[in-house]
Amino acid sequence: MNQPAKLGRGLDRCPNAPSTQEIIARDKHPAPFWVRSESYQFLGDEDIPTERYYDPEFAKREWERLWPRTWQFACREEHIPEVGDYYVYDIGRFSFIVTRVAEDEIKAFYNACLHRGTKLRASGTEGNTRLFKCPFHGWSWNLDGSLREVVCEWDFPHVRRESFALPEARVARRWGFVFINMDPDAPSFEEYVGEEALAHFDAWGMEQRYIHCHVAKVIPANWKLTMEAFMEAYHVLETHPQVAVSNADANSQYDIYGEHVNRFISCLGVVSPHHAGRFTEQDVLDQFTLGDSSFVADAERKLRPGETARQRMADLLREQFEKATGTSLAGVSDSELLDCFSYTLFPNTFLFAGISLPMVYRFRPLKDDHRKCLYEVFFLRPVPEGRPRPEPAPCQLLEPHQSFTEAQGMDPGFGAILDQDTENLRLEQEGIEASAKRGLTLGNYQEIRIRHFERAVDKYVGR
Amino acid sequence: MSERTFKRFCPLEELPPGAKKARNLDGVPVLVCHTGEGIFAVSNLCSHQEKFLHAGRVRAGRITCPLHGAQFDLKTGAALCLPATRPIATYEVRVVDGWIEVCA
Ligand code: FES
Ligand SMILES: [Fe+2]
Repeated sequence: MNQPAKLGRGLDRCPNAPSTQEIIARDKHPAPFWVRSESYQFLGDEDIPTERYYDPEFAKREWERLWPRTWQFACREEHIPEVGDYYVYDIGRFSFIVTRVAEDEIKAFYNACLHRGTKLRASGTEGNTRLFKCPFHGWSWNLDGSLREVVCEWDFPHVRRESFALPEARVARRWGFVFINMDPDAPSFEEYVGEEALAHFDAWGMEQRYIHCHVAKVIPANWKLTMEAFMEAYHVLETHPQVAVSNADANSQYDIYGEHVNRFISCLGVVSPHHAGRFTEQDVLDQFTLGDSSFVADAERKLRPGETARQRMADLLREQFEKATGTSLAGVSDSELLDCFSYTLFPNTFLFAGISLPMVYRFRPLKDDHRKCLYEVFFLRPVPEGRPRPEPAPCQLLEPHQSFTEAQGMDPGFGAILDQDTENLRLEQEGIEASAKRGLTLGNYQEIRIRHFERAVDKYVGR
Repeated sequence: MSERTFKRFCPLEELPPGAKKARNLDGVPVLVCHTGEGIFAVSNLCSHQEKFLHAGRVRAGRITCPLHGAQFDLKTGAALCLPATRPIATYEVRVVDGWIEVCA
């Protein structure tokens, strides 16, 4: 395992192990184009300066230059299915009422009264309305944002209706997600994501999914540091020893797409290169952990001679999943059924393709503490065929001391993994602040997503 | 000693799952919601500024005031978000002979 670099400058890969592409190429049901592509690029090997994780000045620059200029996942369309439905999305001091103003039109209003500023809707709420009426003096706005009524209008001859419509952020809708951007000069959402990554996401059919489980927790670490804990499979061996047995961790694949998207593919159902030769295929199958293992809870797990754990797991998942959800998986590859496809959409969203790990993550710094963030996990299940779309699950906010396994609807094995991930973060935040070393040293390949992500951060904060 | 008296609210068939209905029961404004989890009766007045709740959206066991967005738990009446801070009243419900009855 521990051979010195031969090729250098990001070209080296885990020795004596099959590549992700080689593993996937052996599957019975072949993978689609977006799985089979590779897009790694060496981006330098300098340390990442760490003051960005604790310095209030850096956080201030993010509030001024990063958050107001990037496309952010505000809510899902299913949160606001009917005309008049709204969902309040907050990022720091900013707040937006994301509203379905017509059957096929969504607007994001700045959540503040144009009289004396009162929030028109409390943060963290959603509902349905025909007008936005301020609770203070009763000024009101129509659903489309036009001014409806000024109480005692005679006292406000200087208020011109045309200039008192609720100000709006830009809205983009894609894959069942509603994204917003405060910057009128920002590129379109499509340009921002880029053609190649757009084609990947377009292929997933996320608009046909619904939020089956939504869990949130405050993490005692900077939002970027927290996100970076999920950007590599390098930590699996040490942090998730129970997973490493059935996870191709050191031979996972890492890719970057444009400025705002990066990803890894981490194959499951194959033994880690760290453990090569120490576990049988049967061991691998027995150790298999999934995002939602309820699908295969009571399946027969004895392998036939010559059968691989990976193929059996794919077959089992296919069969059980079709039964459990009433959806057809014809045309879905084994890789999509099994593997972990983790994509970052800058600045603060992770999208996972695939069936066994159907998550979306969102990370937001706390308004008044940049050394903490709110981490949200959404599980998106396919909308059952021929049945009405289920309502999205409401958010369960865990207390800081609570385990992810305590959330309703959370697979216990997956909850335990999230606990392991987030337990490291307090120590990492504290260690970075305690350190004599002022930089993070990154692996050229396995940690390219972190470098790529911090590059985008630098671009926005302007350094 | 107050006595528990149930009053007829409406025939059950007028309130299928997903529906809600408001009416005064001897001067008390009552809102009955038939959700996936059962039938619930609460006060039809928001505790925030005494506006009617009946046009509000019901989802995940809570109703949202259509005017200012306050939310209440239909089971307990608890205020779940600003601008409300006080609960609304909840009333016992039962179904007898095809009628929804409320103890208000
Ligand atoms: S602050 Fe909104 S009406 Fe006065
Ligand atoms: Fe992890």
